[in-house]
Amino acid sequence: MSEFEPKIIAFLCNWCTYVAADAAGVSRFVQKPNVRAIRVNCSGMVDPSYIVKAFASGADGVLVGGCWPGDCHYISGNIKAMRRAPLLKKLLGEMGVEDLRFRLKWIAASEPSQYAKTINEMTEEIRKLGPFSRKKKSATRSVA
Amino acid sequence: MSKVTLDALRWQDQPAQATITVNGGPPQVYFQITAPREVAAMCQGRPVEELPRILSILSPAHHLCAAQALDRLFGVEPPPVAQNMREALRLALFFRDHLRKFYFLVTSLENPFADFWSQDAQRGPHGLRSLLDDLMRHVSLAQEAAIILGGRADHPVTAVAGGVSRSLKEEHHARLAEIAAACRSCAERLGGFLREQVFPQGKILGEIRGLEAGPLTSLTLAPEPDGLVLRGAGGGEAERFGAATLFDKVGLHQETWSYEPFAFLKAKGWQDLGKVPADSLFFVGPLARLNNGQPLATPLAEDERQRLVEALGPFPRFEVVAAYWALLVELLGSAEGLVALCEVEKLSGPVLRTIPKAVGKEGHAALESPRGLIYHHFRTDERGLVVEAQVLDTATANNGLFGILAQRAVEASLARKEPWEETKKRIELSLLAY
Amino acid sequence: MSRPEQKKKLAIYTATGCRACEQGILDLNYEVNELGRFADPVFWPYVLGTPWEALSEGKVDVALFAGTIRTEADRQAALKLRESSELLVAVGACAAFGGLPGLANLADATEAKAGETTGSSSADGEGKPTLPRAEPQGLCLSQVVAVDYVVPGCPPTQNLLWAAVLALVCRGESPARLSYAAGRLPEAVAEAIAAGVLPRRGTTFAGEKAVCGSCSRIKEEKKFGICKRPYQEYQETGRCLLEQGLICQGVATQEGCGGICTGVGVPCRGCFGKAPAIFDPGAKMVGAISSTFDSKDAKEIAALVENFVDLAGTFYRYSLPSQCSLLATPDKG
Repeated sequence: MSEFEPKIIAFLCNWCTYVAADAAGVSRFVQKPNVRAIRVNCSGMVDPSYIVKAFASGADGVLVGGCWPGDCHYISGNIKAMRRAPLLKKLLGEMGVEDLRFRLKWIAASEPSQYAKTINEMTEEIRKLGPFSRKKKSATRSVA
Repeated sequence: MSKVTLDALRWQDQPAQATITVNGGPPQVYFQITAPREVAAMCQGRPVEELPRILSILSPAHHLCAAQALDRLFGVEPPPVAQNMREALRLALFFRDHLRKFYFLVTSLENPFADFWSQDAQRGPHGLRSLLDDLMRHVSLAQEAAIILGGRADHPVTAVAGGVSRSLKEEHHARLAEIAAACRSCAERLGGFLREQVFPQGKILGEIRGLEAGPLTSLTLAPEPDGLVLRGAGGGEAERFGAATLFDKVGLHQETWSYEPFAFLKAKGWQDLGKVPADSLFFVGPLARLNNGQPLATPLAEDERQRLVEALGPFPRFEVVAAYWALLVELLGSAEGLVALCEVEKLSGPVLRTIPKAVGKEGHAALESPRGLIYHHFRTDERGLVVEAQVLDTATANNGLFGILAQRAVEASLARKEPWEETKKRIELSLLAY
Repeated sequence: MSRPEQKKKLAIYTATGCRACEQGILDLNYEVNELGRFADPVFWPYVLGTPWEALSEGKVDVALFAGTIRTEADRQAALKLRESSELLVAVGACAAFGGLPGLANLADATEAKAGETTGSSSADGEGKPTLPRAEPQGLCLSQVVAVDYVVPGCPPTQNLLWAAVLALVCRGESPARLSYAAGRLPEAVAEAIAAGVLPRRGTTFAGEKAVCGSCSRIKEEKKFGICKRPYQEYQETGRCLLEQGLICQGVATQEGCGGICTGVGVPCRGCFGKAPAIFDPGAKMVGAISSTFDSKDAKEIAALVENFVDLAGTFYRYSLPSQCSLLATPDKG
């Protein structure tokens, strides 16, 4: 059987990380093909429910890419994303989603190599974790 | 071998059935609870301050018991107003629970919804319809009092660590006093009916009047704070101990045929349910409380207790009719208690909560609920998350008693060669009293 | 009023849960209007002790089903009642979303034991009755059979319970005040009740918006950097509980209760389930709470988040088996 190929959903900000991803392709950086990119206008519009839904729909990892603090096209959208991430991570952790599966990264338009690096690292780390099974926690349960 | 299952016993809080096997000799009766109650699993990992709301799924009184355990866990003493409000809620719950049992008792012989349109039904075959309306109206009044005091009636929310979360308004005080007075007179009316038509004679109690599980140890709150009393089957006090050590004295035994465990006295060890005398079992509830033989503080309840003694003999008593009578005594007592408590000055004040300063590690509380003594013991980690929640519910404490009562009811019924339908009624009526 | 030609046949049942929902129905009978006028409770084990065989005598018009599906017997009961009823109504948070018993799905069963449980003493299994097998986890009704209507709440508030009975059992034939029921319902449902037609299948007898819509507390939309737990000091009256730093789920929860819990100074825990527009109540709460953090510093935020405990057990308190999209089992339809 072939090796497990993780599915990673990446919500990429139109003004920075998405550009970086584009540039990474144009610059022919080596990238793992495990990412499904979704272009959003700002990392601040990625509602926690998008991320929960991605995991519920079978994603093995989720990346949210936004502008560095202070560089947001909409002034403070990325700060909103930053406020949400830790609490969401905590909730996901309680439901059996390991810490490495969900990441919030600041990647500017000028950092395509950083984008490729992030993608490659994330893919390999999640490959090690194995597929995310959404009923991992509850399926083990039985009644005495 | 023949086996009969009497399914869906009426009026039980949990889905319950009785299975009877006859194998040549005497019948063997199993009182089964057919659904699990996983309170320990529900509580584990929750913030401990949420437990009063979660545990109220067992019965509303568990809300108050859990709040008391929180007081101890956080090391705070609720202000007097809060204590009075909690006590008033407890009494309202007593009144509601006992009165609903009498409603069930009175409707036990017929379908209270059947044939609404017939002339007979309007009068009622036993002239009971107006009585039923009266009872249920007061159930709803007690419920309204519980909503005022507890936020919700069935799953109250207002008792929090160190006090209560709401203050009463002027109109609440007036309404509570009104309800309390109405409840007291309803209890008196009902008392008259029961004394004339149910306790001494009549077909509602019929043959089960004298049914008993045999002399049994009882477990109740002691008069001193945080103490419990075990009273021997003969009536004498067997042992007093601190509530914190309850689970050192009481063990839980699991049978394969019931989801509800059986509480037993560890000192005697678990003995099979058929054993006579059943000295490893104990029971809780109104009759267990009255079995201490002490006079009561309120006049109507004390009068009723005297009548009980005159009619049936001195305590301790164990027969079903005494258990129903004990319900009436407590019904009167709770209404009187409510009247006394529902005064403006007792239920109003500037401070409702004592704010905890630190998160504690361990807390317990024992409380007399309408159905008997209940007990909570919580252990938490340094963040106040529940590591272990031990709960003794009345369903567990009385499980052995229910098993024996069901056994006796079936034996009596088989001796008279009654149809199974009658047997089922006997079981239901004998269990309802406790 | 004359006798209705044919009284509606009613079935009332609780699987695994408490009896608060059934007692609520019993109370309706005496406080609001007598069920016996227009309905015939042909199956009600709790009050009438009806055996299952009673269901074979023709179809039931409306079945009110409360409680979580926790055992094989609960599943069979759901299947039987579905088969023998025209309309199947999930009453209460347990049947509607899984309820408090469903919360046990989060725990590991091997660690959960109450008190000290000793094993079965006697080895002679001869003739001993058996128990219905437990399901691997608690489920809500719609995960086992198709459900026509939902009455949420733990327990359901009386006006909504009565609205459901009025709409589904009396079909407008009752002389009782329609406004009593219709007052807080979505307009379409209220109109259907008044007209005596059935509301659209799948209707939830609750409000349309979030509990905040009917909560009486004062909201100021301020930022703050604290996390409080309900044992700590806060204002029992007045200001919005969420804005005081407490977790209050009004913002993610369907309206209909009238804000009774927040009204008496305790935070909402979501017994009406998620509001219709929300995908996942936990995710919504994460968004709502984190938006109030008054900080731009990642370290500060991380330190603040440290104080939050048991998010899953709080956000999905009454709805874990069905509305927690990461742990839920899919619906049957």
